Amino acid sequence: MIKKCFYILLTVCMLNACGSCGNRGSSSDLEVPDTLMYSDAIIPDDEISGFIDNMSSPVEMAALIKSLDVKFSNKYLASTDNVEDFSTEYQQALNLGIYGLDLGYLNMYNKTNAVLDYISAIKTLADGINVGQFFDFATLRRLSQNDQNLDSLMYISVHSFNQMDRYLRKNKRSNLSVLMITGVWIEGNYLVTQVYKEVPHPELKEKIGEQKIVLDKLMLFLEVFKNDKQLQAIANDLKPLKEQYKDITITIQKGEPQAIEKDGTLVFIQNDVSIVNITDEQVKSIIAKTEEVRNKLISK
Amino acid sequence: MRQLIKTLFSTLLLVGLTSPLFSQDNMELVGQCAASAGNVTYLKDFPVKLDAGTPGGKPPSAKFSLLLSKNTNYRFTICSAPDSEGEAMLQLFEMNNLIGSTYNSTTGKDYPSFDFKCQVTGVYHIFISFKDGKAGDAVGILSFIERL
Repeated sequence: MIKKCFYILLTVCMLNACGSCGNRGSSSDLEVPDTLMYSDAIIPDDEISGFIDNMSSPVEMAALIKSLDVKFSNKYLASTDNVEDFSTEYQQALNLGIYGLDLGYLNMYNKTNAVLDYISAIKTLADGINVGQFFDFATLRRLSQNDQNLDSLMYISVHSFNQMDRYLRKNKRSNLSVLMITGVWIEGNYLVTQVYKEVPHPELKEKIGEQKIVLDKLMLFLEVFKNDKQLQAIANDLKPLKEQYKDITITIQKGEPQAIEKDGTLVFIQNDVSIVNITDEQVKSIIAKTEEVRNKLISK
Repeated sequence: MRQLIKTLFSTLLLVGLTSPLFSQDNMELVGQCAASAGNVTYLKDFPVKLDAGTPGGKPPSAKFSLLLSKNTNYRFTICSAPDSEGEAMLQLFEMNNLIGSTYNSTTGKDYPSFDFKCQVTGVYHIFISFKDGKAGDAVGILSFIERL
């Protein structure tokens, strides 16, 4: 009986392992991540339950820039040349977010010829923090070879990032999830501020000012990991940038919401008006500080 | 031998929980639901699995917080799993105010999705629950439609 049970278990184990070996690094699957080895980096679930999704969306940031008819430029992108130099989990997670934003920007402008470099870099970093199994590199590479596949490319890219993020949070590696979000945010802010330097559109100025809301939330998340020295180092890098936002105010005038049914679709319209009060001087300081922080983070 | 079986059970549990196959059904539902949202760009998915509520009690719900941006048109879509006992609904709140829902309690009509024209950047909350407090399995999808 025991012998029979042993063989059944062995077979199930082997089947399960084979089922997942198609897109996972077989030797690294059961490695214990660095972060699990430091007890003060493990955050209880209740402390991270206040996570906010969609904190910084590559799709939305790139869509804003494209909607203003701003031409694509690869000078805004972080170079993938040094991806192998990011050797710690912290660097890998942070730069995963940075490249994630850049990938969203490339996808939005349908620059499929450059996408391959970024998906390769993302795969390298994702493998580094043992979440590469959620990044469907083979499919993305195939899709990137034809510019008719943009919708699928966008869906798989965004979905892969969501899965990596969720897996990290569920497995008590939320510090790496916060780093990924930080990377996406800083690169998004860098992109919008750099574009504003050349195209000073009021919508971009407003977007820059609104980042006060996101940065405040981000700093709260980073503060949760107060015993994690490396996360605190990044929080310290961001503090001077937060300082630049302190006098920016956002006022909201409440309006009456509307609900209509249009062509069978239910539409809710928010009629509030928000006004971002930000001066040209404040924008200038934010642009300079964002550039400084972002360039420091990608060179670490 | 018993020790060996114990070790194998532990390994099986570990491999099972970390395997991508663990959430295969969920991934399929996310893909189908995202596709059903129409000609929009997928941003986030919110998978939910809830037990039935207690008689007379408040129906169980799952809450998610998300950041939405000004001048953006979003679509929220809800899909119940084929084997879900309960039918899911998704509600959008700003602070404590209900500002969108896939279920119209006045008419009793259900919608697979609704659009939300956001005018204030900030944190919003979505609640996913099952009608009559039934148990169920569903996924909510947030998609980007366009800049306003």
